[in-house]
Amino acid sequence: MQRAAIDLLIGGLFSGLSVVVLIALASAPSERPHRARAATAEPVLTPLFPSDAALRNGAPKVASYTIDATLDPIKHRLSGRETVHFVNRSTASLNELWFHLYLNAFKNDKTLFLRSPFGAGRSGDKAHEYGYIDIKKVSLAGAEGIDLWPSRDRHSPNDPADETDLRLPLVAPLAPDQSLDLTIEFEDQLPEVVERMGYAGRFHFLGQWFPKLARLEPNGTFAHFAFNPLSEFYADFGDYDVTIDVPEAFAVGATGKLASETHASGRTRQRYLAENVHDFAWTAWDEFQTRSERIAGVDVRVLYPPHHDTNAEAELASVRLALPHFNALYGPYPYPTLTLVHPPEAAGNVGGMEYPTLITTGGPWYATLGGGRFIEVVTIHELGHQWFYGLLASNEHASPFLDEGLNSYAEAEAMESFYGPGSVFDGWGLSASSSAVNRATSADRGADEPVAQGAADFATFRNLGALVYSRTATVLQTMGRVYGERRMLHAVGSYARKFRFLHPSPNDFSSVMQEELGPEAATVLSSALLARGTVDYLVRDVSSAPAPSDAGVFDGPSGRKQKKPDPPHAAGKYVGRVVIYRHGALQFPVDIELVCEDGSRQYRHWDGRGFTHDVDYAGPSELVGVSVDPEQRILLDDDLTNNWLTTKTVRLPRVFERGLFAAELLLGTLGP
Amino acid sequence: MSESKRARLSTAGASVLLWVSRTLLALLVAYPMLSAVEATGIGNGPDRDAVLFRPDALMLLELIRVGAPWFASALKTALLLTALTLVLELAPLACALDMLCGGERNFRARAARSFAVFPRFCWLGAVAWLTQGGLLVAISLGEAALRSALHAADERALTVAPLGLVALGALTLLWVNSVLDLARAAVVERDLGGRSALIHALTVLRGQPLAVLGGSYASAAASAFAYLTAAWLMTRLNVGNGSAATIALAFGVHQLAVLFAITWRVRWLERALDLCAAAPLASMASSASSSKDLT
Repeated sequence: MQRAAIDLLIGGLFSGLSVVVLIALASAPSERPHRARAATAEPVLTPLFPSDAALRNGAPKVASYTIDATLDPIKHRLSGRETVHFVNRSTASLNELWFHLYLNAFKNDKTLFLRSPFGAGRSGDKAHEYGYIDIKKVSLAGAEGIDLWPSRDRHSPNDPADETDLRLPLVAPLAPDQSLDLTIEFEDQLPEVVERMGYAGRFHFLGQWFPKLARLEPNGTFAHFAFNPLSEFYADFGDYDVTIDVPEAFAVGATGKLASETHASGRTRQRYLAENVHDFAWTAWDEFQTRSERIAGVDVRVLYPPHHDTNAEAELASVRLALPHFNALYGPYPYPTLTLVHPPEAAGNVGGMEYPTLITTGGPWYATLGGGRFIEVVTIHELGHQWFYGLLASNEHASPFLDEGLNSYAEAEAMESFYGPGSVFDGWGLSASSSAVNRATSADRGADEPVAQGAADFATFRNLGALVYSRTATVLQTMGRVYGERRMLHAVGSYARKFRFLHPSPNDFSSVMQEELGPEAATVLSSALLARGTVDYLVRDVSSAPAPSDAGVFDGPSGRKQKKPDPPHAAGKYVGRVVIYRHGALQFPVDIELVCEDGSRQYRHWDGRGFTHDVDYAGPSELVGVSVDPEQRILLDDDLTNNWLTTKTVRLPRVFERGLFAAELLLGTLGP
Repeated sequence: MSESKRARLSTAGASVLLWVSRTLLALLVAYPMLSAVEATGIGNGPDRDAVLFRPDALMLLELIRVGAPWFASALKTALLLTALTLVLELAPLACALDMLCGGERNFRARAARSFAVFPRFCWLGAVAWLTQGGLLVAISLGEAALRSALHAADERALTVAPLGLVALGALTLLWVNSVLDLARAAVVERDLGGRSALIHALTVLRGQPLAVLGGSYASAAASAFAYLTAAWLMTRLNVGNGSAATIALAFGVHQLAVLFAITWRVRWLERALDLCAAAPLASMASSASSSKDLT
């Protein structure tokens, strides 16, 4: 009995020690730890842009909305009344308006969204309960008695089953610079959470919830489209004045700044004002916890579920680092507020989405444990969208790489700047960087489809993710590594400043890149983004031998001489030849490293032109290996394992050692 | 030679035997995957496999991406070899138990005896695996039911409660393993047949549950501690940039951990033999007849 007690005690002791070691291991950084910078409100880089005083501070307002919305959280219904003040800022007279009723994407299984092979949407879940928006009445100011809505088209163009993209004829043409005011009464039936909107229990998230005008292009056409599961959105800038009516117990988070709040009959009415934005989203839940902090002059508020305090702190910490960083790189954040919404696990599909001044994060309550940086990644990614979507309001339907791609680059740059090579994962003695993960997820897909194409043109969700997000980031990171990190940052920063509060196109982006990086880099960029450009540098041929001595018959001033060859190694010199190949259309200049038997190394440079490149070697010892792009600047390289070659026997002592231990561990766990 | 010295030598001999056999069999299991890694060409560069240990994991992810076709094939072979070695490892285990029993036999005689009990060990292993498989199914069903029951609970309870169930299940699996070890000890110590040995093991468990659980628990906890500590120490050694000496040190640390775990297991096996020897045989299991009851 006594021995049993001792054994139990020993077991308990080892268990306790194991837990301690386990915790230390989970948080063990990689072999070269890179500490995150201390949180600071100061710009983290030597300023690339000395002054931002002259930046554009507002947008040309086209569509401004005043909305009064009342939520019934039991029936998950919302009744609303909105007034749209619309200014025709195009060069043409308008005879029609186009409305996006995105919520109708979840009306039935026949809609473009739900019948699509990607009908589960980005979230991966089909609608469990259907949702829709009913417009009760549309009237024009000055003619309130007339309902314009019956004259609308009944369905999206060429799609009788879809009602997300509807044309409304105008009674009279609207000339350039003229405006009109429309009043719209509508009712939403929210779906159970799907594609980043809807309800889960008493949690409600409202994105794309109101009748919204399509973006008016300068030539007088509307950039309208039915809601495709591969696509996001596009809208005009304007001012939003939104009053939200919810039960008193519900906490609300919304785009813009809270202007007033009143309480009556067990309900709360909150009025939010947001200027120079192109969308409005909000959330309401009676279990939200909140934290607030002023960061870099912005009132930041986090709404999160119970028990997610560590996540909320990680999200705030991310904003503390990233907001000043993005301010310095891409121009100052122009709004007074920023709201972060961490949805509960049951509404996880709402997470990871961007709206003006409001972003959603996500993750389980234990997301900060174990070395993963999921919370930081998603927070910094969505924060980056305040620039690449919010301020640079490009067409997400036609050119998703301009928002998601550039933002993935911004996110990776920021994460690596803060957390170094462990920017995605750093624990258990392992670390992984954003650039490595971006490269790994997109390397196989470079030749599949162009990056710079419309969202709906992608063959699969996987391709869209790999190409639009990861490939774009990898292209820009490669450009930075080859042509200079600061030049690349300056180029993207210049683009962000030049087109702030505008709607830049791919041509706008290309023109800035050409100005900043030069024609050669612009050609590479264009090929990589538009023409499925790929590249693979490889080494196939390495040879080396003792330098031959001069032998043969030689005629000289003193007559003819015959020289016999010296014995091998007599000269103590070696010569060799290496052939480097370049596959694919992209041309990058590369370094070549020659490794000698005596451990010395020689370096050569190739401008990347042509398909092959000969390297001659001469040195005191045998050439035993060669490596092209030894610093791995070209992340776009299709296959990094063929970038080197050795003439020596390959030995993998580290892999052998780890592999043996892993197998012993496996047998120790499963074995007798 | 004194009895205690002989016992110490037996313990050390059994530990070394199990460690050597474990290492050799692990080499067999690891070989297909090691070959697959070599086939990718990842080690053809001037820095060899050090590139896999760079902090950003660029080349580690590239290895996984480029090597996926090789790995898929190698993994199947490795799994097959794992299954084979799990059976083969019963032979050195039987030999080790025989050494721990004492006696003046030479190694050849001990090897012959270990082959003699091998079929009974296989049968006991199969029974234990079936029992553990059933337990795993039960745990899985229980976890699903618990999740369903906790549907309305907060997120933390929803995560932690099933984890608690899994921990309880792991403890039960450990108990099954300790009964299996008792049965093996009974086979070697008393030359019982498989079924009789199992009955005897259950008798021992019923008689001294704390002693059985305590002994096997200490062994399992010591193993976990050894492996985790070795893994943690690896994060302190800069193997990626390290010299041959660093790699040798890493190898030493890992093998020391394996040896430590095996030593604690041998300590438990000794205890199991003692427990089996001390417990009276059930009346139905006479040693003369029972040695043939399952073989």
